[in-house]
Amino acid sequence: MSSIQLKNVIKRYGQVEVVHGVDLDIEEGEFVVLLGPSGCGKTTTLRMVAGLEDVSDGELSIGGAVVNDVAPKNRGVAMVFQNYALYPHMTVRKNMEFALRPMKLDASEVERRIADTAEILGLGDLLERRPSQLSGGQRQRVAMGRAMVRTPDVFLFDEPLSNLDAKLRTQVRWEIGKLHKRLGTTVLYVTHDQVEAMTLADKIVIMRDGYIEQVGSPEEVFAHPRNTFVATFIGSPAMNMIPAVVDNDRLVGDHVNLPLPERHKAKAAQGMKVQVGIRPTEVSLVDAGEPDAVEASVVVTEYLGNQALLDIRVGTQELIAEVPAAERPGEDARIHVRFNPDALHLFDSETGISINA
Amino acid sequence: MNKPSTQQAVLVYLLLAVVLIVFLTPIYIIVSSSIKPSPIMFQKPPAMIFEPTMDHYVALFTDRPFAKFIGNSLIVALGSTAFSLTFGSLAAYAISRIKHKRMGDVAFWILSMRMFPPIAVVVPYYIIFKTVGLLDTPFALILIYSTANIPLTTWLMKGFFDEVPTALEEAAAVDGYGLLETFWRVTLPLAAPGLAVSAVFCFIFSWNEFIFALMLTGSKAQTATVAVMSFWSSDAVQWGRIMAGSFIILIPGVIFVLTCQRWLVRGLTMGSVK
Repeated sequence: MSSIQLKNVIKRYGQVEVVHGVDLDIEEGEFVVLLGPSGCGKTTTLRMVAGLEDVSDGELSIGGAVVNDVAPKNRGVAMVFQNYALYPHMTVRKNMEFALRPMKLDASEVERRIADTAEILGLGDLLERRPSQLSGGQRQRVAMGRAMVRTPDVFLFDEPLSNLDAKLRTQVRWEIGKLHKRLGTTVLYVTHDQVEAMTLADKIVIMRDGYIEQVGSPEEVFAHPRNTFVATFIGSPAMNMIPAVVDNDRLVGDHVNLPLPERHKAKAAQGMKVQVGIRPTEVSLVDAGEPDAVEASVVVTEYLGNQALLDIRVGTQELIAEVPAAERPGEDARIHVRFNPDALHLFDSETGISINA
Repeated sequence: MNKPSTQQAVLVYLLLAVVLIVFLTPIYIIVSSSIKPSPIMFQKPPAMIFEPTMDHYVALFTDRPFAKFIGNSLIVALGSTAFSLTFGSLAAYAISRIKHKRMGDVAFWILSMRMFPPIAVVVPYYIIFKTVGLLDTPFALILIYSTANIPLTTWLMKGFFDEVPTALEEAAAVDGYGLLETFWRVTLPLAAPGLAVSAVFCFIFSWNEFIFALMLTGSKAQTATVAVMSFWSSDAVQWGRIMAGSFIILIPGVIFVLTCQRWLVRGLTMGSVK
C-alpha cells in the first residue's frame, strides 16, 4: 500500500495545457475515483500516475517518493485498462505469469499466486484459454487478475467497466468493491459514470476541463456541491437550476417566489443574483393553497415504476420533478409544486460557486 | 448464390486451364529437358516419350562444385533475410510508434531506396567492394540485397505494427518490461505474420538475384543462379546442365514459402482488446 500525492501537476501537449495544476492527496488504502465528462483530464491524470505520460510540471509522489522521472515498472503500480489489454498470444495463465516474470519469483511462488488469484476471481477453468476465447466479463476479470497477482502498492483502473453491458457492470462493480475491502490496496479509479463513483469511492474527485472542481466523499459532493457544475453533474436526473434574485429574505425569479432558507441568510446579500438548485426528488406535488406553492404545467411524464419523472414548465423554464408514480398527473395538467426549502442550494450567478463554499 | 450454369463452369475451367498452361509450360520444359538425353533435346516435334536420364544432374555436381554454389546462395539469401528482418522491423517499429510530423518523410525516403535502378550502381559497388576487399564474398551480396530488402520489410512491418494496440505495450510497461523487451515479447510476436511475409519476399528476391551476383562474385562466392549461366559459354551451351541446375534452384524457394506459410495466418490479435 502506498499513498499518492499530486502537487500542482500540469500536463501539456506542445502548447496546449490539458491538466492545469492538479493538487490531490490520496491516503494509503483509500479508494479514490476521478470522475468527469469526456476530455476533463481524468485519464491523463491517471496515466501520469502510471508513468505512461510525462508530468510536464509539478510533483508526483507515490509512497512518499517523487516519481516524476521513474519508469512505470518501478512505481509499484498495476493498471487495468479500459480495453483490458490482455496479451492475445498468451493464455490466461501466461498473461499472469508474464506480469510476474520481472519480479523474478520462485516457480512455486508464481504458481501459488496464480492459483490464489484464480480462486478469488473464479478464473480456475479459464487458465488455459486465450483472451479471444473469453467473454467480455471474463476478460475483465483476467485483466484484474493480471494486476492483482503482482500485489502492487497501487491499483489503477481506467474505465474498467465501460465495455460491459449494464447487468455485468453492476456485478463487476460489486466485485471490485469487495476486492478492495479484502485487499485494502490504494485504488485510483477513472470513470465518467457517477453511479460507479458514488458506490465505490471513499473519495470522489470531480474534474472538468483539466481542473479539479471538488474533492469529497460521495455524501459530501452530493449534499454540498461546491459549484453548479458539480451540482448538475452528480445526481440523476440532474439538479434543477432556477435563476433568481435575493429580495428581502425571498428568492424571486420567473414565476417563482421562495423563502430564503435560514442557513443561507448570512451569505445572501440583498439584490444578489443567484442560481437556486433543487434536486428533482425535493420537488413535490401540493395543493394550490399551500404556502410557497409554485404553479406549473406538465410537459411530459416518464413512468419509471415506483417513481415518475415529470418534465414541468414554470414560467419559461423547464424543470424536472421526481414524484411517486401513483401521484403522477396527466400530461398538459396544471399543477402546483413545492420546493423543499431545506434542500435549496444557492450558487452565485456569476461565478457558479456555492455561496456557502 | 445461384449455382453456376454449365456454360459458366466450362468458361471458368477454360480460363484456369489457360492460366495453368502459361505458368507451367516453362517448368515443364525445365523438368523434361533436364532428364532428356542431349541428342534429342531439340528434336522437332519435341520428343514426348524418351528414356529419362540423370546424366545432367550427375554432371552438374561432378564437373563443377554446384553444391558449394547452392550453399553460397543459401548463405546470401538467409543472411540478407535475417539482416533485413532485424533492421527493417526495428525501423518499422520506430516509424510506427514515434509521432513526429516528419516521420512520413522518413518513411518515404526509406521506400525511395527501392525506386533506384540497381543496374545504375553496379560499377560503383564494384569499385567500393574492391577497395574495401569484400569483392567475391557473400557478405557483399548480403549488404547489397539488404539495401533492397530493408525498405520492403520496413514498409510491410510498419503496417503490421500499426495494428498492434499500444495499450498492450503500455500494459507491459506497467508490468515491468522495458522498451526492447516489450518489443521482443509482445509487439513482435503479434506481428509474426508480417515477419513471415517479409521473410518470403526477402528470401526469394535474394535467392533469385542475378546481376549483382554476376558482377561482384568470382569463383569463391558465386551463387547458384550465376553458376547455372556459366554453362552457357562461347563455344557451347550445355542445355541439359542449365535445365538441371534451374530445376534445383526452384526447390528451396518452394520449401521456404511452404515453411513460412503457417505463419502467414492472420487473426492472432483477435480478442486482445475489445
